[in-house]
Formats: sequence, structure tokens, C-alpha cells
Amino acid sequence: MLLIKCPICDCEGDETDFHYGGEGHIQRPTSSNPDKVGDEAQRDYLYVRKNPRGLHSERWLCERGCGKWFHALRDTATMVISKTYLITDKPPAELKKAGKK
Amino acid sequence: MSGKPYRIPSSRSQGAFGRLIDRDAALSFTFDDKTYTGFKGDTLASALLANGVRLFGRSFKYHRPRGVIAAGPEEPNALVSVGSGATHEPNNRITDVELYDGLVATSQNRWPSLAFDVSAINNTFSRLIPSGFYYKTFMWPAKLWPHYEHIIRHAAGLGTAPQEEDEAVYEQVHVNCDVLIAGGGIAGLAAALAAAEVGARVIIADLSPRFGGAADCIDGKIDSAAPLAWAKKAVKKLAAMDNVYILPRTTVTGHYDHNWVLMCERLSDHISEADRLANRPRHRLWKVRAKKVIVATGAFERPLTFANNDRPGVMLASAARSYATRYGVTPGERAVIFTNNDDAYLTALTLQDAGVSVPKIIDVREDTKSALISRAEDAGIEIIHSSVISNVETSFGGTSIEGVQIATRTATGRLAQPFARIECDLVCMSGGWNPAVHLFAHVNGSVRFDDTLQTFRPDQTSEAIVAIGAANGHFDLSTTIDESFDKGYAAGKSATGKSRPKKAVPPKARQDERSPLEALWFAPAKGSLNEGNKHFIDFQNDVTAADIELAAREGYRSVEHLKRYTTLGMATDQGKTSNISALGILADTLNTTIPAAGATRFRPPFTPFSLGSIAGTQAKHLFQPVRRTPIATWHHDNNCDMEPVGLWRRPFCYRHGTEDRQAAITREILATREKAGIIDLSSLGKIEVKGPDAGVFLDRIYSNVFSTLKPGRCRYGLMMNEDGFLFDDGVTVRLAEDHFLMHTTSGNADRIVGWLEEWHQTEWPDLKLFITPVTENYTQFAVAGPHSRDILQKLESTIDFSREAFTPLDYKSGELCGVPVRIYRISFSGELSYEISVPANYGLAMWQALMVAGKEFGLTAYGTEPLHVMRAEKGFIAIGDETDGTVTPLDLDLGWAVSKKKVDYIGKRSLQRSFLKGDERKEMVGLLTDDPKEVLPDGCYAVEQLLDKPPMKMIGHVSSSYYSPTLNRSIAFGLIKNGRARMGDTLQFPLEDKVVSAKVVSPVFYDSEGERQNA
Amino acid sequence: MPDLDRNLALSHRHQEMENQALGIEMSERDDVGMIDLRGKADDKAFMKNAATVLGVELPTDPRTSIKKGGIDILWLSIDQWLITTPLKSHDKTLSALTKKLTKNHALVCDMSDARSIIRLSGDRVREVLIKGCSFDATQPDFKPGTVRRLLFAEVAALAHFVDSNPDVIDLYVFRSYANYVWEWLLQTAHEDAGVGLFQVQDAPVV
Repeated sequence: MLLIKCPICDCEGDETDFHYGGEGHIQRPTSSNPDKVGDEAQRDYLYVRKNPRGLHSERWLCERGCGKWFHALRDTATMVISKTYLITDKPPAELKKAGKK
Repeated sequence: MSGKPYRIPSSRSQGAFGRLIDRDAALSFTFDDKTYTGFKGDTLASALLANGVRLFGRSFKYHRPRGVIAAGPEEPNALVSVGSGATHEPNNRITDVELYDGLVATSQNRWPSLAFDVSAINNTFSRLIPSGFYYKTFMWPAKLWPHYEHIIRHAAGLGTAPQEEDEAVYEQVHVNCDVLIAGGGIAGLAAALAAAEVGARVIIADLSPRFGGAADCIDGKIDSAAPLAWAKKAVKKLAAMDNVYILPRTTVTGHYDHNWVLMCERLSDHISEADRLANRPRHRLWKVRAKKVIVATGAFERPLTFANNDRPGVMLASAARSYATRYGVTPGERAVIFTNNDDAYLTALTLQDAGVSVPKIIDVREDTKSALISRAEDAGIEIIHSSVISNVETSFGGTSIEGVQIATRTATGRLAQPFARIECDLVCMSGGWNPAVHLFAHVNGSVRFDDTLQTFRPDQTSEAIVAIGAANGHFDLSTTIDESFDKGYAAGKSATGKSRPKKAVPPKARQDERSPLEALWFAPAKGSLNEGNKHFIDFQNDVTAADIELAAREGYRSVEHLKRYTTLGMATDQGKTSNISALGILADTLNTTIPAAGATRFRPPFTPFSLGSIAGTQAKHLFQPVRRTPIATWHHDNNCDMEPVGLWRRPFCYRHGTEDRQAAITREILATREKAGIIDLSSLGKIEVKGPDAGVFLDRIYSNVFSTLKPGRCRYGLMMNEDGFLFDDGVTVRLAEDHFLMHTTSGNADRIVGWLEEWHQTEWPDLKLFITPVTENYTQFAVAGPHSRDILQKLESTIDFSREAFTPLDYKSGELCGVPVRIYRISFSGELSYEISVPANYGLAMWQALMVAGKEFGLTAYGTEPLHVMRAEKGFIAIGDETDGTVTPLDLDLGWAVSKKKVDYIGKRSLQRSFLKGDERKEMVGLLTDDPKEVLPDGCYAVEQLLDKPPMKMIGHVSSSYYSPTLNRSIAFGLIKNGRARMGDTLQFPLEDKVVSAKVVSPVFYDSEGERQNA
Repeated sequence: MPDLDRNLALSHRHQEMENQALGIEMSERDDVGMIDLRGKADDKAFMKNAATVLGVELPTDPRTSIKKGGIDILWLSIDQWLITTPLKSHDKTLSALTKKLTKNHALVCDMSDARSIIRLSGDRVREVLIKGCSFDATQPDFKPGTVRRLLFAEVAALAHFVDSNPDVIDLYVFRSYANYVWEWLLQTAHEDAGVGLFQVQDAPVV
């Protein structure tokens, strides 16, 4: 049972007070370029996920706090949540570094 | 068998024996229908042993007679059912069951009786059923496996499930604390004192009814006090602190991510059934989030592996000591001690003190010296070194011990010919101690092998959890006290950020030094392993040393494979007594070391706990939340059949007098079509969206256009998910230029609020708008039928209901009967219809006012089923019937509501995917059966070509099907491959006992021009 | 005032309270209206206009509330507040707020009927709360004025710590769930189901 703290309202609670929203930083192609999205881009957007062992960016909803979405960096092996940040923030540097490994 | 001579007299050794029992409080109980007497403070085990009972169960596979080997939660053998009827519970360890007056216990896994068991023949043929026997023998033919399994499971198995409903209540609590301490022995108490003095919120739990752990069974001094006296003082001190919560009878069952700990507290299992309070929870499941977890769970003694070491009367040395000291029970009259370490010498001394004859200690080790050994020698006990018990002699049937054979160990590990036989009725064995690392290991905790202790100790972890005392491999009192105070203080300090106000001085403890143990994994009987003698490793699963060797020979070299092949360490005890011995034998067989052979990981739960506590309050009438509409009392008073829709209870239909459901449905439909009907639609989702960008936002959410909707008007809309599949529909109202009210289906209401928030926050945060769910604030009714307008016009209102003023798809607000209302002219029934939205607290009174006003017009309440029939007559889809997550709006011929002009909306791009555009899609059509009385079953399949028997190629299914009283015939919708191209075709629907044929038609069966709703 | 009777979510249960052996007091509040207010805390004009009508600034610290006259303002999010008003003056407050915020980016919703407020009072209230939610209501920083959203008895709820000595906590639940939560409380708040957490205890057996 993960212990999570919302970066927006500081609400801390069990993961059951939050709602998991899958991998973070998935770009929706049609929001920016609706007419020119190939089948493969659409497939990747809908279905292809990283599923790493190690650092993972994911979206969580602070359901019993402020009701806002945010990002968390969680290590899928140790379960340690090393960082939380706003839903509108860019991917943090350590995530990019972990992805290259 | 009168209770003597097994109960030690209170006079003996100044009352040193039986300190937990109250000899003045006799309790009566039964075991296998025979009545016995015990004392308050007894466990079921001690009470039965005091009565001379030695046989408690039959083993899992071979049905061998089994006694009790332990005195605590590690007991693998003596599992019984406790209680009867509604309180029946299987698989209780008799060592953990506290005695109460009237307790009913029943043995398990025996037929017809414990003393004579038919399946014991398995033991005779046991050479034929080694490990993997079942896997190998019952492989073929595979389809008979269910039959084999049924018979095998009947023969092998633990207790039976209760047959009656459990009447007890259960609950759960959630608590945060600074320091959680599992185990209330000396280490746990010391750590609790240190942490509590810093000011930390401390919870300390012990699975037994008492605290102090082994304090009463060990030697040594803490400061100048005996360990037990120190423990008593410590507990008293902790109980007086309001930052400490002490939980007896509470098992810490599991440690999970981020220091989340599960504990099961048993509140009434120790009370006689007549005295249990009906409203006091039987078990309480604790969910604790601790900043620091301290594992002070002690250690389990290892059995030794020798021939017939499972016979009733062979017991762990510490258990025998515990029965004598705590309960004043001697489990035998003449005991032989078999050990590889010093601790069992304490048992020898204790038993002798209790009046048991202890002729000999068989010590695996060569001539060793220590203070304890000297004490035994001084007490006149003969010590035979470098020897082992090579076999156990029993009475006929193996239910009691008559003597043991002693042999010398040779350098090869094999034994020499027995050189002595000792008469005895009790064997106390000690193979060393295994720290109870379970909790430490549940999440990410690794263990390392300790050569001195010949066992695994806690090592690394990423969680804030530490082990202390025996659980950390410290068996010396002084080390335990020092470590426990240090780690308790450190935990309290780091959890609270506070330091101890005045540095308290931890007590000084001392204890005679022990000489080291010597590993002995296996003392084989003379001769081949399979010659009738079994050397048990895992008593609960009947796994023997020969099974381990066989598995290793067959290639199951990984411990994880070994475990699954032999079932070692499975079932309710999870290998508490067996794991390390098995690893020792595996390592020896593979000619490697134990750390190289590896260790299996302990998983929660530490000991089994009740399903009732897992359900907690979510049982019976509280099983799940039930949502009531504001009209619920009226529905109840009017004989309504309620239907679950999500968590809601909605009116299905109202039965008048002797009506059955179909008659009620027919009556309600005809009344609505001919006169007027009213339905409670309160559960429909209602969401307000307000802001300058609300229109743009809804354009992206729905597949059709909302930004062009005029204030005061309503429009039906479709929502797709990003895959292009339809997932909700409903009418949206433009309340004002920047203010919309969306309606959703009942089941999706909460989901769609979340959906809107997610898209707004994560994809289009620049759009200015607010989303607020208002479902619960309003009761909503549809008043439908030719007379609906007449009824509304009869009531006092500020709204003009005339045909000219209030046209289809209009929205108006105002007052009705003095209550502010919103009214929409929308229709799901196809009749002239007004949906009235009323503040919920006035809903019931408004409903009643409408019923009164409508009486002269024949206003009839109708339920969801009549509504569904009427919408189907009109060709309207229902989410969840015509959709199943794979259906697009185009499949349902709703292309008119899928915008081609809008640049982007959810699902638009996915609709262009090739497989959604192909000509193989299932399309919605109407179906009329050839026989108008025949109603197709929901979900039945149409076939391409009718054959004599399956398989037949299926081309689609029925998604909605009803008998229409309006048309006096059956109607149905189907989702049929290329359905619209098959218009006029007749399709075949093979059912179990017949074939129904139906013609493909337009799905609009009634009033296709919409004259009625536009009236 | 409307001509029709007002029925609260738990009106049908008000009678039964006399015979309950509960460890706490429990009742449904029937004297308040509720307003759901949306607007952004960093929108100065909105905050100022709201404060003008309510006579006090909206609380911006998470999970806090402010009391002013008969009005309680509960923080729900960085852009959402729940305002409870005395029933008598509710319509006045609602229309004043709506009017004053017309030109702001805001949403004022009358939500008087959306929730049932179950008032729990007594020394054991917090013990009952921890039976229903993962939030630990017995921890020291849960004190009067605090507001916490909960998943309580599997139901979305809100706890408003009103007063202490003895504790008074208002449990807000959506109307349709109120009957279920009420039944849930009847079981878990029973006087025989006490916990006695973090108090001086009788020493257990050693």
C-alpha cells in the first residue's frame, strides 16, 4: 500500500486516496496536429507503453484531496516514489537519464 | 486419564509451575464429543495434554497419527475445528486456542475417527506415493483430472468450511503511528519503552494473550530482576502511557510497501460463546501505517530430522518447557532430550524440576562445556555426546512412544548400529533456532546465512523496518536488551524528530554464556531411506527427507521449484518449522552450502486470519453501499420491485395486487402511452460546466457540436473514448451562454465527471471552465404521455407549459408548487414528455403533488423496464445494451451525431482506423420474429447458415429484446454483420432447444415520425 | 417558502435514534444550506468579491475551514469551497454571491440538497471514523477546523472537525449514500465496539 503525497495540496495518504492514471507524458498527437496523424502514431499513443523496471513516470489523481492530477516518479522495483510534480511540467532530467540506460 | 499425573501439583517448587492457569477456575470443554476439564488460562493444547490426550490429528497425505510439537503459532500438526454451526472454524492451531467454558473442538482429516483412520493405509503404501506422485500418476487422460482431483482432495485436505452463516461482526481500523512493534517479548518491550520515552506514538502487538514472550522460560537477570519480573514492570509502565497502545491477541500478519502493516486482533475468540457480545467485533483488522517498524517476533525452534520424528510424544524442547512452566502440564512422565545446542538443557532442568524423569540428554556435539551443561550434569542427568536418536519405537498404530534407539554419528553422516535403547514417553528435540524473519522479508527484506547460528538472519531492506532480539539472531539476553533499547530509541527519535529529554539508562542484563550449536540436518535411520521409516521435515505437508532427496535427484535444484514440487513450506504454517532443515538437506544432497542453495521468500500472512476480518464491515446489509433516490420511501410503500443499477436501487416496476412482473410492465406501458406515466430518473448523472470555453470543451468531449446550441435548448450527444468506441450518451442543456448542464447515464455519472476533469486538467488546461457534478442535488422525474401537459398545467407554476411556449427540446426554469425547478422537454419514451428537475429535499413532496394532480388523468408510476421497452419501441439505443466497449456510433447508425466539420474531438482520429471502417462491422438493426409471441433471449446469436450441430458461423447477436404491449408482439435489436445490407432478410437464431427465425427490419418500431413526442 | 414538505436524506430514520446503544451521539443536521463555489484562489478579483459577500476571505490553506457568523467555509481544493449557511439566510447569501461574481470566472451552485450532514459527537467519534477510512482521524494534527475528504465506508465523504471536548465532527456524504452510511455507523459506533486507542490501559497479562 503506497503512501503518496500530492504536490499541489500536500495531502498525504494511502494509494486508495489517489487514482492511478498510467504512464505520464504520453503526447496526444491529434491535439496539436489533428489532420496529419499516421496510423502508427495513433497506435503508439493509444496502446504502446514503456513498462520499465526502475524509474517510471506516472500520473496520479489526488482524489481525496484537491482533485487535481499530478505526476510521480516511482521506482517500479523498490516502490520508492522519489518525486512528484505538476501535470503540466515537462519530464524531469532524471527520467530522461533513466530512459537512456 | 483423570487429569493427573500430567498436571503438576501447585505445591511443587513453590508454585513455579502453571503460572498462567487459575486452578480454582475449572472449565469444561469437548474434543471429538468427549468432555474434558481444563483451567482458565489454559490453551486448548495444554488442557488436552493435561488430560492425557496425545493424538490431535491425522497427517495430510499419509494420515499418520500426529500430536502437538510446538506451543505457539508454528504448530504444524495439531489443527482442529473450533466452534459449531455458525461459529465453526477449521484449521485452528490448538496451541493458539485459548480455553473457554463450553469450547467445542473437533479433529480434522480423519475418517471415521481419529483413533481409527481408514486412509492411514496410505502410510503402508507410502513407498508408492512419493513427491510428485499425483502429478505423475494422474496425468492421463487429462479430462479425468477433475474426478481424480475431487477424490484426492477429499482424502488429503484440511478442515471443512462452515456450512452456516457467520453471525459475528467484523471491522477494520486504520491508524498511523510512529513506531510499530511486532512482538511483545523482552526485545519488543524494551524497544517500546525506549521509543515511548521519546514521545513517539507506539503500537506494540503480540499474537498471544500475554506479553513477555520467553521471559518466563529463560535464565539470566535484567538489572537484578528475573526476566519475567522485569517484563511485568515494563508492561505496567507502557500501559500507563497514553502514547502507547498495547494490543494482545493481535497477530501482525503482513508487512507491505511503505511500511503498511496488517494486524488481526481477536476480540472475542477467548470468551465462551454465551458471553460474547453480539455487537462487539469478533476480529478487528488493523491497517497501520508506521514510520518505523520493529520486528521483535522472536525465533522458532527447529525440529531435528530422524526416523519417525513425527510420532505423538516427540515435541520441541522449548514447547515442553513452556507447557510445564506456564500451564503446569507435563507432556510425559519420562523424557529424553535430543539436541544440538545448549537451550534444550534448560528444558531438561525444568522438566526434572517439575517431577518428570529425565534420564538422558542425547547431544549431537562432542564433549562440550558450558555453565548450563554443568548444571544438567550436577542435576544427575546423563549426557550422551556425539550421538543421535536413530529411531522412535511406538505402540501399535504409532499413537504413543515407548522408547528411542540411540546411535553414534559416523564421519560419513550415516549412522552406526544403535547401541542403546531408552524407554520414554516423551522426546524433546532441539535443532537450533530460526529467527522469525517473516515480517522483515515480506517486502524487499533480504536475509543472510549466519554460520554460527546455522540459519538466516535479516540483512538489507529498502523499507524503514528493523529486527531486534531473537528475530535478529540475538539469543543472548544482554545483547538483546542493549540492541532493543538502542533501536527502539533510534526509531522513536527518527520518527518524531525528538530526543530523549533525559538520557535514561538502559538496564544491564546478563545470562550464562552458551556453547555453540552444531548443525545436524538429518539423522537417517539405519538402512535405506525408504524402508518403512520416515524422517519428516514438513509435518503439515508430509514432506520427508527422502522427498527432498528425490526432488533434488529429479532436477528440482532451485528451492522455489523444490517447494512447489514437494509442497514443502506450503499450507497454513508456511514452513515455520521446516524451511531451514529442508535447505540443509537440499544443500547436503547437492553437495553445496545452504546460502548457495538459496532461500524461499516468506509471503504474508504470517499466520492465516479470518475472511471475516478481510471483509470487515462489508458484509450482509453493509456488503456494499446502496444508493437511494429521494423517492425511495414512496417506491417502497407502493410495492415496487427495485433493480440494482450500479449501486443505485431503481424502480423496475410496481406490482398491483396479484400482478406478476409482466402484467405490471404491460399496465405501466399502456398507461403511459394512452394517458400519462411518471418515472423516477434521479440517478441520471448531472454535471454543470461553466466558463467562457465551456462550449469549445463540450465540442471536444462529444462527437457532435454543442457550441452552436442556443441557451434554453437541449441536444442529445454521444461520447466516445479515445479508441473511437461509444461509451456514454445523454442530453445536454445550455442553461446560459457560458453555462451547460450535461446528463449522463446512471452508471457512468461519476466516471464521466472524472473523465471531464482529466481531459480538462491534463490535455486542455488552458480552457477556462469549471466542472461540478450536481447529480445528488436534484431529483428528476419524467412525466410522459398524452396527458402530461394537462397535469403540469394543473399545478401552480411560473412556467408556461402550452404547446406554443414550451416546444420539443426546450428548457425552462421557474417554480412549480413554489419550488424552483428546471424542466426539459425531452423524451426517452417517445411520448409527449417533460423531465422535471427538483431540489432533492423537495423531490418526494413534488412526486406526491404530481400523483395527486395526475389522478384524474390516470397518471401511473412506471419503472425502468417499461421505460426500456418504450425506448426500444422507438428505436433508441441504451448504453450497456447496444454498446459493449467495441461498438462505434457508426455501427449504431448514429452517424448524424458524429461531426465531420469539427477539427478534433475525442475518438475522431480512431474512427478512421481501417478496421473500424471496413464492411465487416456489426450494425444495429431491428429484428421481428416470425412468431410474434416469441421473445428472443438477450445475447443469443444469429448464424450465417443453420447446421445440424455447432460450430456454426455466427454473424451477430441480440442486444435488446422485449415483448411490446404497444405493438402486441416481440421486438428486438441485433448487432449483425453488415446488418443494414440485410434489410428484409430472415436470420436464424439457434437456441438450446429450438431455432427462432427473425426478419431484419428498421430498428424504429413505433411512431417513426415522432408525432407523439412532438404533440 | 415552498408549499411542499422538505424531506432530508435521513428523515425516515430520525425516529429510531432513541433505542440505540451507541458510544457516540449521531444526528442529521437539518438547519443548513450549502453552496459549492468554484473560482481560482489566484484570481484576486474573484477572491475579493467572494470575501465582500461572505465577510471573510476564503481559506486557501489546504484542509482548513473558516467560520464567520453562522457561515462555515470549507476548503475543498485550490479552486473549490463548500459554504454552509444557516437555512434562514441561505437564499440571500446564494443570490448575493451569484450576483457579485457574475463578471468573475466562477461557478456558484446551490448544493443544499446534494449532501446529508451527519453530526457525530462524543469522545469516541474519532475512533469510529478510523473504522471507515484510511485517514487516521486520531492523529494529533486532526483538530477543530480541519476538513478532510475521505473514502468513508466505501463512500465519498468529507469530515469537518467542528469542535473538541467533546469532539464534534460533521460527516458530509452525498444524499443517496446517507442511509447506507447511517446503517454502517449504527454497527461500528455501537457501545460494545469501542477501541480505546492511545489511552491509559489496563496492563495486559504478562
